[in-house]
Amino acid sequence: MVQTDWDGRYYHIDQILDTPGPRTDEGFMAGNGVKDFLRNQSKILVIGAGGLGCEILANLALTGFKDIHVIDMDTIDISNLNRQFLFRPKDVGKSKAIVAAEFIMNRVPGVKVTPYFGKIQDKDDEYYLQFNLVICGLDSVEARRWINATLVNLVDPENPESLKPLIDGGTEGFKGQARVILPTITSCYECSLEMLNKPTAFPICTIANTPRLPEHCIEWASVLEWPRVHGDKKLDTDNPDDISWTYNVAAARAKEFNIEGVTWSLTQGVVKNIIPAIASTNAIIAASCCNEAFKIATSSAAYLNNYFMLIGTESIYSYTFEHEKKANCPVCGGDSLPLNINPDTTLEELIEMLTERQDMQSNQESIIVNCFKAVISASSAATGGSDQT
Amino acid sequence: MNDSQPLETATTSIQAPSGAPDAKTRRYDRQLRLWAASGQTALESARLLVIPASATATSILKNLVLPGLGHFTLMDDKEVTGADAGNNFFLDGMKSIGKSRAEEGVQGLLELNDGVEGVADVRDIKRVLKSDPEWLKTFDVVVAHNLDSSILDDLADLLWPGTHLVVVNSAGFLAEFSIHFREHQIIESHSETAASLRIDKAFPALLDYAMSLPLDTMDITDHAHIPYPVILVRALEEWRRECEQVNGPSSGQGAPSNAAEKKAFKERIRAMVRKFDEENFEEAESQAYKCWSTTGIPSEVRELFSFYSSSASSSSAFSALVSALSQFAENNSASPLYTSGLLPLTSTLPDMKSSTDEYVKLQQMYRAQAEAEKKVFKEYLGRGQVSVDDASVDSFLKNAHALKVLKGKEWKMINPGSKELLATKLTIQPRESATHLALVAVRSLRAKGVLSPLEVHSDTTKDAPMADALDKDKLKEFLTAEARDFLPPGAELPEEEWNVASGEIARAPSADIPTTAAFLGGLVAQEIIKMITKQYVPISAGNAASSGDDQLGVCVVDLVETWTGVI
Repeated sequence: MVQTDWDGRYYHIDQILDTPGPRTDEGFMAGNGVKDFLRNQSKILVIGAGGLGCEILANLALTGFKDIHVIDMDTIDISNLNRQFLFRPKDVGKSKAIVAAEFIMNRVPGVKVTPYFGKIQDKDDEYYLQFNLVICGLDSVEARRWINATLVNLVDPENPESLKPLIDGGTEGFKGQARVILPTITSCYECSLEMLNKPTAFPICTIANTPRLPEHCIEWASVLEWPRVHGDKKLDTDNPDDISWTYNVAAARAKEFNIEGVTWSLTQGVVKNIIPAIASTNAIIAASCCNEAFKIATSSAAYLNNYFMLIGTESIYSYTFEHEKKANCPVCGGDSLPLNINPDTTLEELIEMLTERQDMQSNQESIIVNCFKAVISASSAATGGSDQT
Repeated sequence: MNDSQPLETATTSIQAPSGAPDAKTRRYDRQLRLWAASGQTALESARLLVIPASATATSILKNLVLPGLGHFTLMDDKEVTGADAGNNFFLDGMKSIGKSRAEEGVQGLLELNDGVEGVADVRDIKRVLKSDPEWLKTFDVVVAHNLDSSILDDLADLLWPGTHLVVVNSAGFLAEFSIHFREHQIIESHSETAASLRIDKAFPALLDYAMSLPLDTMDITDHAHIPYPVILVRALEEWRRECEQVNGPSSGQGAPSNAAEKKAFKERIRAMVRKFDEENFEEAESQAYKCWSTTGIPSEVRELFSFYSSSASSSSAFSALVSALSQFAENNSASPLYTSGLLPLTSTLPDMKSSTDEYVKLQQMYRAQAEAEKKVFKEYLGRGQVSVDDASVDSFLKNAHALKVLKGKEWKMINPGSKELLATKLTIQPRESATHLALVAVRSLRAKGVLSPLEVHSDTTKDAPMADALDKDKLKEFLTAEARDFLPPGAELPEEEWNVASGEIARAPSADIPTTAAFLGGLVAQEIIKMITKQYVPISAGNAASSGDDQLGVCVVDLVETWTGVI
């Protein structure tokens, strides 16, 4: 093996690893024990190689994690280059995970980054069980819910190793949040879903009959006119020609209704649901995520309990608090919600009922998983094999 | 998306008229939606000096190079050590060892954006302070990370107040930074508070329109499309007229004030409903509070009127605009019913339940009134000596309700801060203040030679660094003695918070760890962007117009419990 740890390489981080601090757990193995675990034994998964992911990978590599895996299904777009600093103009169109992994391995010797260019759903429980920690830098609520539910379901009370801490970050403009989730122990992603801002949804009748805002005209063009004119061909939000078509149709409608403000940029923003993103906010949140990963992996200091929220628009406001576990959380909660169904209800009808329940906020996929569990539990209850409800 | 730009203004000025944006606009799309073309232009013309090429300093620069800063100079006279190569992502690992830190760092940073100019300066800042002080003043912002006290003191004196000095200090999991400016004016504060719709002080066209609608006889579909401001203005005016019959003339003032009156007012709105599903009336009921939130001049803006009337710097465009605004607030001839106590009307309406025609009609009423009031404003502005372009006037009026003028402090006022203020701060924000004192104390120990200068530490080729020879408990004792000196006699350090802060420093006095460096890199870059673009609100020592002196304007960070705080 090539010697990559030159003299002084870990001078800075070793000040932390050689001595306990005032807020360090007694179990901390200062010195070689903890260094060996961090650098030679721990294995960490990064989900997302975008705005947060690029930052997370760089921080983890410098902090001393040497076996890093990264998953991302996206390819590089020119609009990523204002913040996703492992990518260059020549990389546009390539896999984010692969380019990011190569960059890190070239820059930080001795670090192995294993990329996977695909979906998190492609991987099974066994895959996720191999990691000590998972860090998410995602822009999708659905992907977060999936990995959260997967890691909660992975927990086997008999096997402490099956509990994989999940560190999740997210940003929007000058704001962001980082949190530590210990599946089944602390509040999980699903517990806090109601904290999310509801996405702006315009009623279809407003779009069709009483447009007032430029956004209403754009929605009309993309949601109603596009399928009417193009039939089965889907609007490709990454194709400038499709955006231009939508823009022209929206602009014509806006003119007809005396509405001002339809621009190409707004059209793209509405159609793609673009969220503003800058390097600095991603840096803060990614650093916070990696700092928690480092503290958890090394026990060198207390870690975040359990939610850090930052608002940088007006001075620097941040709020660190313990988000409470929801007793009736559909993913990690022990409580059950009453639901009256008659014996003739089909599974399909049940799923529909559950999807419509506001307090569940479930998507079809997670319901199917949970229904499946319910069916199993009901059948084992019928045979007297379980006391769960 | 509350902090984002109204998108229609975000990119229009630098996009091709045919529609699709050019490559540069596409590259910067996600940030232009925050600070628009005007912010981008400001960023692209800014010049920054950063000293030295530490992990923290290059992390800050990275977050400014990516969005397209104009120019940076990275100043560092040292060579890359093994420690630098290990914690700085913008050096090229082992290959950089022994080469110039500044040159290697600039190379790594310039890869990120070929639209940015970056220069390495391998001189020692101590010498430059003597040989080339005027050149240092040509920068807009100077960032100093973990510099020795003696250099900082001279640098701060030299740069005040023309160039903003950003002082960043970190050790292990703890850090703090401050920005030095005398006064910082912000027009586009991106406040989340919307300007008033003036429901309680309706302008004549709106009032006349609201009163003219035959609510009981008009077409039922039209009735369900009346925008809520019109409903509220009508309901409030009817309420006022009924009150006048009892109490005499109210000259267009007055609104439900107690819980019972407010409840009755909401019932009045409900009674106006003609069909069960009139969502516009439901919306009016939920917005009824707008009738009793009095439209006036926000106190922060009012404070600026007297601040600028007494301030000597009345030759700037900003003070001319504020002066015109204060005259407008005294006498708005475009608003015959309410001639004083109002800011100019803005024509931005939120979305509301309504038909297209009714919404556009309302929008046009607001726009016409806003134009008339702008004319009055521009008359006042024209009487002054300073000419201001129309785009600036429009931006000023659109944001007049959320103007901000901040004050900052000079370095010597916050290093460490006055004894009395620190003693007060320790009782109000103990953990933040204790962390600040611990970071000041360690710098002070270096200046006194109790701890060796930072560069000695990271050079592992030399003899054992002094800090390593110094026992952690001994260092804590020194820090405590140092911190006590910053406090008035009798003032106590908060035991728990001080134990934590001094213990963290003693554990890692010279550690620039990658996660803290990256965290600070983002935090400080955000603040520099806010300063340069003059958009959004940076940290400060408070409002310039308020007389209070209870803030240092220092942002403190603890990455064990993961919190930030401004003291």
